[in-house]
Amino acid sequence: MSFKDVLSPFTAWKHVLETPVTIKDPLTREAADRYRGFHKNDIELCIGCSSCEAICQNAAIDMVPVKDPKEGDSGLRPQIDYGRCCWCALCVDICMTGSLTMSNEYIWFDEDPDAFRFIPGVDAKSWDSSEKGYRREGGRRLSGTERVEMREMEPDLRIGNFDEIVAGYDRAEAVLEADRCVECGLCVATCPAHMDIPDYIKTIREGDYEHGLELLYNSNPFSEVCGRVCTHNCETACAARHEGDPIAIRWLKRHITDQVPYDRYVDIVGKPDLAKTGQKIAIIGAGPGGLTAAFDLARMGHAVTVYEEKEKPGGMMRYGIPEYRLPYESLDRDIGVIEAMGVKIKCGVRIGKDISMEKLKADNDAVVLAIGLHLGRSTRVPGSESPDVEKAVELLRRITAGEEVPVPKKVVVIGGGNVAMDIARSMARLQKQRHGEVGITVTALESFDHFLADEEEVVESREEGIEILDSRGPQEVITVKSGKNKGKVKGLRTWRVDSIFDEKGRFNPHYDEGDEMVHDGEMVIEAIGQVSDVSLLGEKLTEALEWNRGRVKIDHDGRTSEPWLWAAGDCVKGPDVINAVADGHRVAQSINQVLVAMREAKA
Amino acid sequence: MMQAIYDRLKDRFQLGALDVRSRKGLAFVDLRREFLRPVLTELRDVEGFTHLILLTAVDWIEDERFQLTYLLNNRQKNLDLGLRLRLDRNLAIGETIHDLWPTAATYQRELREMFGIAFPGSPRVDEEFILEGWTDMPPYRRDFDTLAYSQQTHADREGRETSDPREFMKQILYPKD
Repeated sequence: MSFKDVLSPFTAWKHVLETPVTIKDPLTREAADRYRGFHKNDIELCIGCSSCEAICQNAAIDMVPVKDPKEGDSGLRPQIDYGRCCWCALCVDICMTGSLTMSNEYIWFDEDPDAFRFIPGVDAKSWDSSEKGYRREGGRRLSGTERVEMREMEPDLRIGNFDEIVAGYDRAEAVLEADRCVECGLCVATCPAHMDIPDYIKTIREGDYEHGLELLYNSNPFSEVCGRVCTHNCETACAARHEGDPIAIRWLKRHITDQVPYDRYVDIVGKPDLAKTGQKIAIIGAGPGGLTAAFDLARMGHAVTVYEEKEKPGGMMRYGIPEYRLPYESLDRDIGVIEAMGVKIKCGVRIGKDISMEKLKADNDAVVLAIGLHLGRSTRVPGSESPDVEKAVELLRRITAGEEVPVPKKVVVIGGGNVAMDIARSMARLQKQRHGEVGITVTALESFDHFLADEEEVVESREEGIEILDSRGPQEVITVKSGKNKGKVKGLRTWRVDSIFDEKGRFNPHYDEGDEMVHDGEMVIEAIGQVSDVSLLGEKLTEALEWNRGRVKIDHDGRTSEPWLWAAGDCVKGPDVINAVADGHRVAQSINQVLVAMREAKA
Repeated sequence: MMQAIYDRLKDRFQLGALDVRSRKGLAFVDLRREFLRPVLTELRDVEGFTHLILLTAVDWIEDERFQLTYLLNNRQKNLDLGLRLRLDRNLAIGETIHDLWPTAATYQRELREMFGIAFPGSPRVDEEFILEGWTDMPPYRRDFDTLAYSQQTHADREGRETSDPREFMKQILYPKD
């Protein structure tokens, strides 16, 4: 040992007057700024999707009721048991809204172990307002935020024909999109038919398409149709929409139906092996509401006959929705499955004319009214009685039926909903075929901020060369006043819309008369809404039934005030396919209960 | 600079492509296990990579491989170089380098415990590191079910109850459907 070795320990004495780096009172020491301490949750931002609970590797999180559920929010909030939490922050990293974060607070004394189980954001804590702590960094997400883009036919290729525009996902694209789903199930409540959305998306990931198809048709016999044209309310409730695009639920549904060969459908959907009940049901109208009820009732063992006025079944799905959105063969495939369940569809039969309501009532145990909304409403502005003024639904029907329709070079459409877009785009195609160019102006009452038609319809219409003007109120259909063309339509005069509703919320448009425009056109098409053609009911039944604002009054299950008559679909509820499907299910359940009771009463 | 070092070594040691995507002054390269020791020795003694920053592993369970990453630092030139080596996951035996860097023994002991990768000859490699009395599968292996382990090992506090969002919404919003 050298002399230096003996002395060297004493060199530490040179630090004796420096400020110590150790801390006198460690219990009041603040943690690092990004320390992972007790959780915070922004209760208003949180949607109760339970992704935090699902990812927790210590089962430290329970979802507990905190408020009433509503669309896109389960009303549940995470409760954390700090006896199990390991502070790993996976829950913060997965949080779909960014509501769940961590404070940097980690010191807390309490003699009651249950105090360490609480609902962040609901049970107030001293660190709730703390800015420090851990939160998921800006750009980082565990689940993908961008929707896999859907391939579509280019505008110049599609405008001259009625071919389907959307290509559908291939397997790789669908798996990528399905992978973004966190399986929270918030969408299920919002879907009118409560389809098993997370479950069928899962079958895509697993490649088990037959099981996927089974799940689809369990809750929706028009899955192939809805995979193309559903209004997809589910996507507005999707947890992924808060920090990215919602999952393309509609396209994933279509992907499943695309993957399974049609000859397997009936086997997979399955026909329950039930004894025939011997009870008979007549359904008026072969649209989505009527046929869904027929599908369910046939599967329950009843004898079901559907009466359809038109040449082919499908209702608005065939005669309203254009073929470029929904090819007829897709519709026919779904209807084929329904017929395979034993449903008889009689087309070209008008109830009230070919068969009376009285006879239907006498020959059947129950009757369902599912007649849809097939009469177009009129603006009743001056000139609207001209023969060159058409109703959108009527024109769409004639185009589907293959009838000759007039196709002038310039057409003006009144309306801003999806039906207005459907007729504008259908006429644009016919114009392209006939004249080589498109000449359509759509005038909508609503401003683009409150537009009724789907965003994608507006975008695609514009791509196809259609002019869309917002906030224009129709004042007069201008006609030729004299000469050999007297009475022919020349165009539409509109004023700018200042407001649509008055302060009491009633429809009462207010115009800026100084802002007048005349839109040239040899045809004006009204697409401002539809009503039911209830003339088939006859005077006696019309009198007997209870009504509600022009619609037949029904109870929750779709039963009218006449005990033998139920009503479903657009004629009593809002106009879309999935609501009609949901209605069909509801009515079928209700009828079956009544028929079972009738059988039991007889026995 | 990194490229020049790589060019000097790549042919002799059959190195994979130089991956420089992460940031300036940091690169990764794949190598075969028989070249591990000669490459490390050359990097340390000739190229100035005198510091072993860390030794860690990744479980590529789908490929049935463990990846070992040796991250080295050249202080003079401020360069970081990661060497990546793949081991058969079913025969997870690595080569000890504690004689090149004594700190490697600690990393190897950790990898033995957390991934179950053996390093024969490494000092104290079979002694417990941080898991005391561990009898289960090494917990950093991806087939280790953390949640199941947690549930078997720790009891729930009494009175815990959870709701599934989908069922809860159904119960309240549409009980009749």
